[in-house]
Amino acid sequence: MNCKRILAVTTREWRGMVRDRLFFAMAFIVPTVLMLTFGYGLSLDVEHSPFAALDYDRTPISRDYLNRFIDSPSFNFKGFLKSERDIYPLLASGKVRAVMIIPAHFQERLLAGRPTAVQTLIDGTFPFRAQTVKGYVIGINNSFNMGEFSRYLSRTAGMTPDRALSYLWPIKTEVRCLYNQNLRSDWSLAPRLMMMVLMICPPFLSAMGVVREKETGAIYNIYSSTITRGEYLIGKLAPYVAVSIFNAGVLWLIATKVFGAPFRGNPLFFFAASILYVICTTGIGLIVSVLVATQVAAALVTFIVTVVPTVFYSGIFVPIGSLGEGGRIVARLLPAMYYTNIVTGCFLKGVGFRVLWSDVVVLAVYSVSLFAIGYLQFHKRPES
Amino acid sequence: MVDGFCKPAPQGESPVVRLRALTKTYGREPAVCGVDMDIYPGEIFGLIGPDGAGKSSIMKAIAGVMTFDGGTLNVFETRIDSEKSAERIKDRIGFMPQGLGQNLYPDLSVDENIDFFARSRLVSPKEAEKRKRLLLEMTRLAPFSSRPMKNLSGGMKQKLGLVCTLIHEPGLVILDEPTTGLDPVSRRDFWTILSVLLREKNITALVSTAYMDEASRFHRLSLFYGGRVLAHGSPEEIMAAVPGALVSFRTERQSEALSGLKARFSDVQARGSWLRVFVKGAGEKDAARQVQEAAAAAGEDIVELRAGAAELEDIFIALLREKKLTEESSHSVFTLSESDSIYREEPGDDGADIEAENLVKDFGNFRAVDGVSFRVEKGEIFGLLGANGAGKSTVIKMLVGLLPPSAGTGYVAGHGMLQAPRAIRERIGYMSQVFSLYRDLTVIENISLYAGIYGLDRRQSRERAGWILEMAELAGHENRQTEGLPMGVRQRLALGCALVHSPRILFLDEPTSGVDPLGRRRFWDILFRLSRRERVTILITTHYMSEAEHCDHLALMYGGKVIADASPGAMKRELATEAGELLEVDADDPLPAMSGLQEAGFEGVSIHGRQIRLLTRDREAAERRIREVLAERGTRIVAISEQPLSMEDVFVYRVMAMERNGRQRP
Repeated sequence: MNCKRILAVTTREWRGMVRDRLFFAMAFIVPTVLMLTFGYGLSLDVEHSPFAALDYDRTPISRDYLNRFIDSPSFNFKGFLKSERDIYPLLASGKVRAVMIIPAHFQERLLAGRPTAVQTLIDGTFPFRAQTVKGYVIGINNSFNMGEFSRYLSRTAGMTPDRALSYLWPIKTEVRCLYNQNLRSDWSLAPRLMMMVLMICPPFLSAMGVVREKETGAIYNIYSSTITRGEYLIGKLAPYVAVSIFNAGVLWLIATKVFGAPFRGNPLFFFAASILYVICTTGIGLIVSVLVATQVAAALVTFIVTVVPTVFYSGIFVPIGSLGEGGRIVARLLPAMYYTNIVTGCFLKGVGFRVLWSDVVVLAVYSVSLFAIGYLQFHKRPES
Repeated sequence: MVDGFCKPAPQGESPVVRLRALTKTYGREPAVCGVDMDIYPGEIFGLIGPDGAGKSSIMKAIAGVMTFDGGTLNVFETRIDSEKSAERIKDRIGFMPQGLGQNLYPDLSVDENIDFFARSRLVSPKEAEKRKRLLLEMTRLAPFSSRPMKNLSGGMKQKLGLVCTLIHEPGLVILDEPTTGLDPVSRRDFWTILSVLLREKNITALVSTAYMDEASRFHRLSLFYGGRVLAHGSPEEIMAAVPGALVSFRTERQSEALSGLKARFSDVQARGSWLRVFVKGAGEKDAARQVQEAAAAAGEDIVELRAGAAELEDIFIALLREKKLTEESSHSVFTLSESDSIYREEPGDDGADIEAENLVKDFGNFRAVDGVSFRVEKGEIFGLLGANGAGKSTVIKMLVGLLPPSAGTGYVAGHGMLQAPRAIRERIGYMSQVFSLYRDLTVIENISLYAGIYGLDRRQSRERAGWILEMAELAGHENRQTEGLPMGVRQRLALGCALVHSPRILFLDEPTSGVDPLGRRRFWDILFRLSRRERVTILITTHYMSEAEHCDHLALMYGGKVIADASPGAMKRELATEAGELLEVDADDPLPAMSGLQEAGFEGVSIHGRQIRLLTRDREAAERRIREVLAERGTRIVAISEQPLSMEDVFVYRVMAMERNGRQRP
């Protein structure tokens, strides 16, 4: 190992990366853009769903009933409709996601102690969202029913409404979600996105960086010189690892400051684990670069080996536990899942090395193996 | 032929490179088939051959950057048989791969590029700085030291590549086609610098080229074809390998004379208005007599006749024939009679078929084409000659309506290119550099596809396919997939496809790039017949100076401008009256001799291996002066002889003259 030669390669690589527009963008702009677009675009919370109402009754009780919805943060009231003909165009154009129709004689029937029905039409194009909206509707409706019943009891049995309510609802559920009390999806998504961006960007940089030299012929400068394989690989990849570490810091800032995710773990431990992770993902790029000869092929292969498994097998959208048997095995074979454990542990759970040590060990084994394979497969005297 | 001084291969010294029975195969494709070679210290050793001859594979094997399959290789007396053993010689080797500046780093400045090579080779900073200053000065790159490499011209890139390869003062440099695509001025410059540098540091060089006319630059060389050595030795020895003489003559009925002589001589070729015949095994006088007899027997009157030495390309082709490496026997000479011609003369349309008027094209701040004007007469072969980046393709693209001009206009087939691009496109055939063929289709499918694109009906399409197969000599290849065809056949197919709609005007953009000399010759034969028999007007671009002689009329392009416009003969005559004749001085120690002659004020001084060439108007006086100058320096003169002027000489002289004029203007 000769440090001067490593430094020569690193300096050249750094200059090339900073001055080439495409590489500069890939190194410094793409990770941030990916993080922001995915972060804003993928928020899974269903809030402020736009809805409208058609009230045939127009009585104090019907208004009272609708106000429960209008005041709820889950809904965004768009206004009263005049006739049934207005409903479908509104739903079809996506201007509202739900419409509530209150029949005539609503108050009259309730006061007479007879049941009545309120029809709700929900836009079902996204089943997940429709389910959530339906849940909100049922919940608000239940609480209205309970209120009505407790008022009836207090009138007829002479109890206070509170007491009537405790008879009606003897067991209350007390659910408290740990780590993410409000179940805010951006809190859990932002750290995982960090995992995804750092899975995709470093391999692209390193694979394209090495293959570009193969494509132009500049690699022959290395082949024909006295630089050793190890010196070249270290010198070549060091700038990419450095940039990726810098990016890890930027992404952490975006996750905590822009998306407001809490960070409860030990920053030092997290930083060290992240370095290990980007070394590992940079190694994936190195393996790709050994296998292919053109930049187009490098981009394609890198995309396939990083993006696809990360979306399905990293636990970013689907928890590993909900995958099938095969999926769980695949997930365990890929590095992304282990870093997902580390990010969620550090951001939300506030746990550290004592809990996450096994994930760190796996990432270390990964990094060492990838670089060893890359080193053994890289030859200065190839067959063609 | 001059009895040139030829240093015998030094016997006492052990060779720097010793190659025995080297073979290399890519998959199932053999690239090198048993090559022997010895390169001695201090030599400039050349590998000459067309693309795919195996030159690059051999050079990479010697540089230790690629494995080989069989044979033995010793470099600096080290046996190279593994990655480990190859590492042992790399400190003494400099390797520059193929491609203009491709191994350099575009975003780094000239300085930074050199620094990287110096540091990666562990040259101490002080020493590196010293060498860098010296090399930059010699290559005249010093003023551009902080310019990013991507903004250099082709010639400058190659010089920078050379500096980077030499910065660690290797004992052996391996340069893979360093001059391909460069303009002749840069090429000459490159060779001079290389000769001086190698001599100063006593460096041995292995250099490859696809230009046959660069043979004189080497001390010794190997001629390659299909992974085999056809001949090796000094340029003189190779020329002597196939004794014979070249006879050129003009007649009234050129194309009839051509077919007449083909029966008698194996190597007859039309070049512009001349016919040239290589007569094997004959002296100049005897050869001339044989040709005169043959012409008389065919009933042709000879207008003008010259006999002289052959060119390396003639030798190359003769060697291929001797070794039975050609598949030419089936070579039918266009049996279509005049009445078959689909090209009917349109009455009253003689005069210019193509006209460019002050064409200008700007790409951003860069003016690629700068006020280009020329006229191409009907039925003429017109050549646009220039280096890569001179603006040739841009001119063609503007004329055929693929690219709007920034200023100026042009006329093709009587239509304004600005007003009627569609009418023009219907009347022309265009063959681009990349042969726009569909590689997954067969030959006949490609032809049918183009027939369909041009709206031919089934009957016409069948007729044209037959004509194209015959014209382009594609019989036997009809149902083969284009992918697997040799370059030369693909080239002829592309030409056929460009002619599918019977255009009267043909635009050919570097159609011969990368095709071997035999393929090029065959292609020119076809172009000649198209021009003479079918009266097709042809505009062709090329960076092979030697191909210029095939054209009836030439325009030399340099830096986006036309710097000369005349017939090849007229250009040479003009040069002869302006600058005189070309003298070749064969001297013991050519490098100091060259600088001496430059200082003495001679024009066009350049070094070719062991010889120096220069231009002079008064031969007697010049010879006296040369002897004086060289005697002062103690250099022995072996011989002084006259050489024919080449297109390269014309090009270099015109560029120099233009640059001198440019400098005189304020």
